[in-house]
Amino acid sequence: MINLLTHEAFKLRHRLRAWLGPLLIMVLVLIAFPLSIDVSQYDLNKFYFSIIVVSLLVISFLATESIFSEDYEDGSLEQIYLEEKDFYKVVLTKISIYIFFIGIPMSLIGSLFSFANGVAADETPKIFVILTFSTLILFNIFSFGSALSINKGAMLGVLVSLPLALPVIVLLGRAIRTVQYGEGFIEVLSLLAGVGLILAAVMPIIISATLKTHLE
Amino acid sequence: MITSFIHRFSSPKSFVEVTARFFSYVMYLGLFLLATGWIWGLAFAPEDAIQGNSYRIIFLHVPASIFAQLIYFFMAVCALMHLVWRVKLAAYLIKSSAPVGALITFIALFSGSIWGIPTWGTWWQWDARITSTLILFIMYLGIITLHSSFSNAEKADRLMSILVVVGVVNIPIIKKSVDWWSTLHQPASITISEAPSIDLSMLYPLLISISGMGLTLIALGILISKLYIITREKTKKWVQNYV
Repeated sequence: MINLLTHEAFKLRHRLRAWLGPLLIMVLVLIAFPLSIDVSQYDLNKFYFSIIVVSLLVISFLATESIFSEDYEDGSLEQIYLEEKDFYKVVLTKISIYIFFIGIPMSLIGSLFSFANGVAADETPKIFVILTFSTLILFNIFSFGSALSINKGAMLGVLVSLPLALPVIVLLGRAIRTVQYGEGFIEVLSLLAGVGLILAAVMPIIISATLKTHLE
Repeated sequence: MITSFIHRFSSPKSFVEVTARFFSYVMYLGLFLLATGWIWGLAFAPEDAIQGNSYRIIFLHVPASIFAQLIYFFMAVCALMHLVWRVKLAAYLIKSSAPVGALITFIALFSGSIWGIPTWGTWWQWDARITSTLILFIMYLGIITLHSSFSNAEKADRLMSILVVVGVVNIPIIKKSVDWWSTLHQPASITISEAPSIDLSMLYPLLISISGMGLTLIALGILISKLYIITREKTKKWVQNYV
């Protein structure tokens, strides 16, 4: 497992576009939003969360778009399949590495920007934790979309996986409201963490089955 | 034993032969019940004390909403059968049910939107039940698009089944959304565990409309499935004899 983690981390590190691209796009979107409105007329911190949530959704999809496609195209996935290695472990490792190198930095960027836009310093860690669990869920869902639509383009991936991600957005919005109004944070966070951990355990099985179908 | 039973009675040939025997009964009975329920509901059921005549759209909206979810549930059962026992017919049924599901979900959304004007004062509200039903509609479209994206039909069947099974998580969210979130949409008036909160003079035509729509949709599903099976199995001898 450690070897797999090191191997996948090494592969991702060399795909600069795959990990740096989504992070830079997230920063640019979060910078662009306040520029597009007249901040003197609006209380920015009230609805700045919405743009963080939506950008997290879109960037999570962008980040996972090529999670399996490059390995599929260069034949690595087929090799793993032919060698009868445990696909579950490979998928789990891949998603974990993506969350670690892209998801967590995205959550950090989101929480820092929310702090810069008026969230109190003691609430910023709460935002970070919420965003981290959300990326855990979103990365798993979008990896599934990416596995389904492998070599068929991003549009199909969005169409099949976005409907599954929308209930998560409702939950995320609710979690952020608990931070804003200071009530029920732990309950909603537990729910978010529970959903995240179940998905993290189950989704790699489903993704493995999907990838095997492509390779059969 | 279960596997041999399933494979024996779930061949596309048996499906076409068996359904041909009762198709016309189901279709005519469904249309008759639907017409009876609608005429009773629209012309003879009493006016609602609060909503007036606008409530009469329930005779279309409620059956459509029920079957929007039930069709997906049926597809999920078929998807499991296809994934576990590799039943070809199950995949054909999913493929044929998806457009019916999309149509009925659209009718549920559209009729709900029309009902929204006199009751809520708006065509659309980003309400939990309505939004989750819209997500269901997009899921139906996603399933149809996914299947049509692959030239290898067997691979498309399998991928579609996986997506349907994963997407079934949306059904309890739709069902319980009015209980879990504070929402404009009213909770269900008819439940299995409790006495209905709707007056009997409105309940009877509603139940007849639901039964009628159910049978009509089954007939429509059989018709589409049959056409699809014939297209997919056109090289088989039994299809050439049948056609």
